[in-house]
Amino acid sequence: MLADTVIILVKILVILLGIALTAGALLTFVERKQSAWIQNRVGPNRANIFGHIRGDKFKDSIKLGGLLHLAADGLKMLLKEDIIPKGANRVLHTAAPAIVLFPVLVGFAIIPWADHWCAGGLTLLVNHRDVCLSESHNLFSIADLDVGFLFVFAIASLSVYGGAIAGWSSNNKFSFFGGLRASSQMVSYEVPMGLSVLGIVMIFGTLNLNEIVRAQGDLLFGVLPAWGIFVQPLGFIIFLTAMIAENKRAPFDCPEGESEIVSGYMTEYSGLKFGILQLSEFIAVIFIASIVSVLFLGGWQVPYLYGDGFHMPHSAFFPLFALLFFVVGGYLIAVGVRREQMLQKIAGGLLVVLGLVYAVMSTTQANGVQHLPYEGVVLLRLGTMFAKVIFMVWLQLMIRWTVPRFRYDQIMQLGWKIMLPAALVNLLITAIILIPLFS
Amino acid sequence: MPKLTINGKTVTCDAGTPLIEAAKQVGEHIPYFCYHPSLTRPASCRMCLVEVEKAPKLMPACYTTVAEGMVVLTKSDKVIRARKAVLEFLLLNHPVDCPICDQAGECTLQNLYFEYSAQESRLKTRKVNKVKAFPIGPEVVYDGERCVLCTRCVRFCEQITKTNELTTTQRADMTEIRPFPGRELDNDYSQCTVDLCPVGALTSRNFRFKCRVWYLDTTESICTGCARGCSTYLEHFRGEVQRFRPRTNPEINSYWMCDHGRRLYREPHEDRLLNPFIKGVGAVPRNKGLAEAVKRLKAFRDAGRANKLAVVLSPQGSNEGLFSLIRFALKYGVERFYMNGKPDTAFTLRNEPDKVADDFLIVADKNPNTTGLRRLAEAFGITVLSAASLAADLESKKVDSAFILGANFPLDLDKKSKLWQKLEDADLVIFLGQRATPFTTLAHVSLPSCSFAEKQGSYINIDGIRQVAKAAFEPHGLSQPDWKWIERLSLRLQLGWEYENFEDLEAAANAKLAAPPAKELEEDKNAPAQT
Amino acid sequence: MPKVVTREPMSVLERSFVPEIIRGLSTTIKHFFHAASGQNYHEKQHLWFLNKGNVTYNYPEDVRTYPKRYRGQHRLMLREDGNVRCVACMCCSTICPANCIHITAAESDDPSVEKYPASFVIDELRCIFCGFCVEACPCDAIRMDTGLHVQPFLDRNNAYYGRDLLMELGELSVAIQGGDKS
Repeated sequence: MLADTVIILVKILVILLGIALTAGALLTFVERKQSAWIQNRVGPNRANIFGHIRGDKFKDSIKLGGLLHLAADGLKMLLKEDIIPKGANRVLHTAAPAIVLFPVLVGFAIIPWADHWCAGGLTLLVNHRDVCLSESHNLFSIADLDVGFLFVFAIASLSVYGGAIAGWSSNNKFSFFGGLRASSQMVSYEVPMGLSVLGIVMIFGTLNLNEIVRAQGDLLFGVLPAWGIFVQPLGFIIFLTAMIAENKRAPFDCPEGESEIVSGYMTEYSGLKFGILQLSEFIAVIFIASIVSVLFLGGWQVPYLYGDGFHMPHSAFFPLFALLFFVVGGYLIAVGVRREQMLQKIAGGLLVVLGLVYAVMSTTQANGVQHLPYEGVVLLRLGTMFAKVIFMVWLQLMIRWTVPRFRYDQIMQLGWKIMLPAALVNLLITAIILIPLFS
Repeated sequence: MPKLTINGKTVTCDAGTPLIEAAKQVGEHIPYFCYHPSLTRPASCRMCLVEVEKAPKLMPACYTTVAEGMVVLTKSDKVIRARKAVLEFLLLNHPVDCPICDQAGECTLQNLYFEYSAQESRLKTRKVNKVKAFPIGPEVVYDGERCVLCTRCVRFCEQITKTNELTTTQRADMTEIRPFPGRELDNDYSQCTVDLCPVGALTSRNFRFKCRVWYLDTTESICTGCARGCSTYLEHFRGEVQRFRPRTNPEINSYWMCDHGRRLYREPHEDRLLNPFIKGVGAVPRNKGLAEAVKRLKAFRDAGRANKLAVVLSPQGSNEGLFSLIRFALKYGVERFYMNGKPDTAFTLRNEPDKVADDFLIVADKNPNTTGLRRLAEAFGITVLSAASLAADLESKKVDSAFILGANFPLDLDKKSKLWQKLEDADLVIFLGQRATPFTTLAHVSLPSCSFAEKQGSYINIDGIRQVAKAAFEPHGLSQPDWKWIERLSLRLQLGWEYENFEDLEAAANAKLAAPPAKELEEDKNAPAQT
Repeated sequence: MPKVVTREPMSVLERSFVPEIIRGLSTTIKHFFHAASGQNYHEKQHLWFLNKGNVTYNYPEDVRTYPKRYRGQHRLMLREDGNVRCVACMCCSTICPANCIHITAAESDDPSVEKYPASFVIDELRCIFCGFCVEACPCDAIRMDTGLHVQPFLDRNNAYYGRDLLMELGELSVAIQGGDKS
C-alpha cells in the first residue's frame, strides 16, 4: 500500500514537474522562436551571460541559442510588482490563476505514456493485442481510470471558472468582457468536442484511455494501423478544433483579443500571476497534444510493434519491396545528379537505404518478425508517444501562427452551426456504417 | 526738357541727366560698376555701354547726357555683345575665389556674369597675382586681385569726405588701389567704401568672415549712435545683428553712414539683462518680477509717497516707451522727471579725439530720441531735469526713490559717487532696461526690456524727422518691449490702459507729439547740449 | 457613383476552412523549415533548401558590407601640410536641407590660406545623409566615403562631430580648384 502511494507520488512528480511544467515553460520560448522562423525572422537570441568575464561583452557571452530568454522571462515574472487593482475582489483575483492552472494539471493524471509494465516481460500476441501473462503494473500513467474519458470532460469544464472569475474579480470592463467571452466560447465548444469523441468510444467500446490505445494496435485491412485518425477523420478535425477553441488560443483568441479588449481577463494581472495564466495556456497545449495523440494517433503504439517485437505484414513481398525501392531510389539519385538537385539525391538515397533494410529483412527474418527485448519495446513506445506529443504541439503552434483570428460571431457560428451538426453526422455515420464494418 | 526714346519708350527729363538715370525712369536697368549718383563719372568700367542712334560707337550711359530726339537701345545684340566682352575683360585676372569672398551673394560682378557672360575663361597664361587681404585702413581690407578698378572708393574719399587718402598705383593689369604713402584709410566714413565697392575688393574688418550675406535677413531700422538717426538696414542672422548698412534717405544721410554707427552692431547683445531680477533673490520669471514691482509700487503709493518717486527717462528709448512711462508716472502721481542718456563723448572723431561732432553726419548728442523726449515732455507739460540734479534732489529729500527707464543705456554710475550712495539708501529703486550692469544689483526690482532691434518704435532725430525702426527678431530671453512692461504695471496698479495693441499706442503717442505744448519748457542748465 | 465590389461566394470546401487552412499551413511550414536551417541569406549554402533562410543580420557580430558609393559618416580632407582643406565658404551649410552643419569661419595665420573653419560641427543626429554637402563643396573638402555609418550615441552631445574628429578620417586630397585644365 505504502509502495503504491510512493509510486503514485513519484509518477505525479515526474509527469507534472518533468513534462507539464518544464515543457510548458519551454514552450514560451519555443513559441517565440517558432513564430519568428515562420515569419522569416531570427527570433530571440540576445539574452546572454558571462560576457564580461570571457572578454568581449557580447561576442564571448553564453547565449545558448537564445534559450536564456526563458530564464530572463521567468526572473522578470518573479520580480515584477504584483498589482491588485483598486476595487478588485482580492481573494478571487488571487485565486483565479490557481483555478485556471488546476484543471489543466489534473488532466495529465489519466494520460497513458506507455502500456502497463508487464512484470515478467512475458507477453503473448493474440489477435494483434498484447496479453500480459504475469502481473502488470501501471507505471506510465498516474491513474488508469475506467471512466478516463469522462474525467477529462469533467475537468476540462472546470477551467471555465478560472477565466470567468479572473475577468469578474478584476473590476475592469475589458477583463469582464474577456471572462464572458471565455466562458461562452468554452461552453459552446464543449458540445461538439464531446460528440466528436463518442465515435471513438463507440468503435473501441471503452472509456479507458489505455484500452483505447491498445485497441488502436489493430490492423485495418491487414495493413493499416487502426488509429483514431484513420477510423474517425472527421472526428479528429472536430476534436482538434474544439480543443484549440477550449484553450482560447488563436484563431480562437477572442477572450484575449488584444486589438479589442486589451488582454481580456488577463488585463489586470501582473507578475507571477500573469505568468501562471500564460503558463497554464502552454501546459494546456501539451495536454491537448497528449490527449489527441492518445485518442487519434495511436498513443504509444508503434505500427507493427508488439510486446515481443516487430511483426511486419506481407513478409512474402519483401524482396519485391526492396527491388521497388532500389529502382525508384536509383532513378531519383540519377536525376538528382544530372540536375544537381540535392533533395532528389537525398530522397533517392533514403529509398535505397529502405530497400536495403527490406532486402536484409527478407533474407534474415522469417515471416517478417524481428524480435526485440521487452525493455526495448517499452522504450520505443515511450519515445513514440513523446514524438507524437511533440508533433502535435508543433502543429498547434503552426496553426496558431497561420490562421487569422475569427470574429466572435464567427466563432459561435462555427461552433453551433457547423461543428455541432458535423459531429452529429459523424456520430450517425459511425453508428450506421463503421460499427457493422469493424465489429 | 529733352525728350528721348529708350528701347522704344519715350521719356522726358532734365538736361544734363545721364542716360542711366533716364533709363531708370522707364524701368530699364543699365548695368554699371563705376557709376554712382553722388560721385563724379569717369566712365572707366565701360559696363554701361549703350547703342545711341547716329553715334559711330557705343556710348557710356553714365557719362552721356540726354539730348533731344535721342534714340537709345540698351538691349540690342551689339550692346549685349559688348557687355559680354567687357565682363570677360574684367574677369581675365579675377581670382574667382567667390567661396571665400564676403561679397559673394551681393556682388555686382557675380550677378552680371550670370546675367550676361556665363562663359569659361579663355586665358591661356597665368593670372596676375597681387597682394591679397591688404590692410588698407583700420576698418577696411583690400584685395587687389578682386578689384575691377572702378575707383568709386578713390572718388568717395576725394569728393564726399574730402580726405583724399586713396589713389591708384602702378599701371595696366598691375594697377592697385593704395593709400598715399604714410596714410591709411582712416576717416570716419571709411566703411562706406566697402558698400561702394561693387566687388569683394574692399571688405569690412568687423563683418569679414562673420556670416555669408545670403543668410542675412534685412530689416529697416535706424542708427541709434547719435541724434542724426541715419536710416539703416539692420541685417541679422539667427537673432543676432551682423551689420548695419545705410539706407538711402536724402533727407537725413543720403547714401552714407559713419563707422561709429556701424560699430554699434554688437550693442543690442552686450551685457543683456535677460531675466527680471529681484534684489536678494536673483533671477525670477516675468510674473514674479512684475508682482514684486507692483507690490512695492502699491505700498509706496498707499504710504502717500507717490510724489516722492523720481522717474528717470532715457533719450535712447522710443517715443512709444517714453510716452507710456510718462503717462503711467503722471497717473501714479509722480511729480519730478529726470533724463539721462549717453554722454556726448560716447565716441569722438577718429582723427580729432577732442571733437564730438563733424560737419557731415556725426552730431554731438549721442542719443537718438532726445527731440522726441523733449517734445513729449512739452506735450505732457512736465519738466525734465538732468541726472545730475537727481543727486541733489535726493539729498534735499525732494525725492527719495527712483523709477528708471534705461531703455538702452543705464545710469552709468561710479560706486563711490554721491548718486549711487543716495540711490542705495533709497526706499524703492525700480530699473527697466536692457543691460545688466552693476546698477541691476542696486535696484530692488530690475525688469528686462529689449533693444531697439527687437521691438518696433519711432524716434525723432535732431532735425525733427520721425523715423520708425522695425522689429528685426524676437526679444531675447524674458525681455519684452518697455511699453509692454508699463502696460502690465498700469493694469495691475489700476491706472488704466486704453490701447488694445501697439498700433493704438503708436497713434496715441503720435497724437501727443503733434499736440501744441501745454506749458513753456522750464530752462534746465544741466540738460545735454544740442547741436 | 460608388464602386460596387462583388464578393465571390465561398464554396463548400472553402466554407469548411479545412483545405484552406492546410494551404496556409503548407506556406508557413515551408517558411518554418527554411528558417529553421538557421542560415543567413547572404551565406550561400550547398543545400538548395537552406538558401532561403531569413535575411536578418545578427548585427553587432555580423556586419553587412556597404556598397562602394554608400554615403556614410563625413570626413574632412587635408592639404599637403595636414591642415584642413575646407575654406569655410558655407556652401555645405547653405545647401544642407537639415541645417546640420555649423561652421565658424576665421582669418587664417597662414598667408596662403585666407579663410579657414575655426570650428566645423556636423550634428550627425540631424543629418539625413543626402550627400548635398559633398556635391556643393567647391574644394573637395568634405566627403562621405568613409564606408562607416554613424555610431549610435548615448549622449546627444556626442552626436556633434567636430572638426578634429572629422579630420581624423581625412586623407590628402590633390583635387585642383576649378578642375584640371590641362
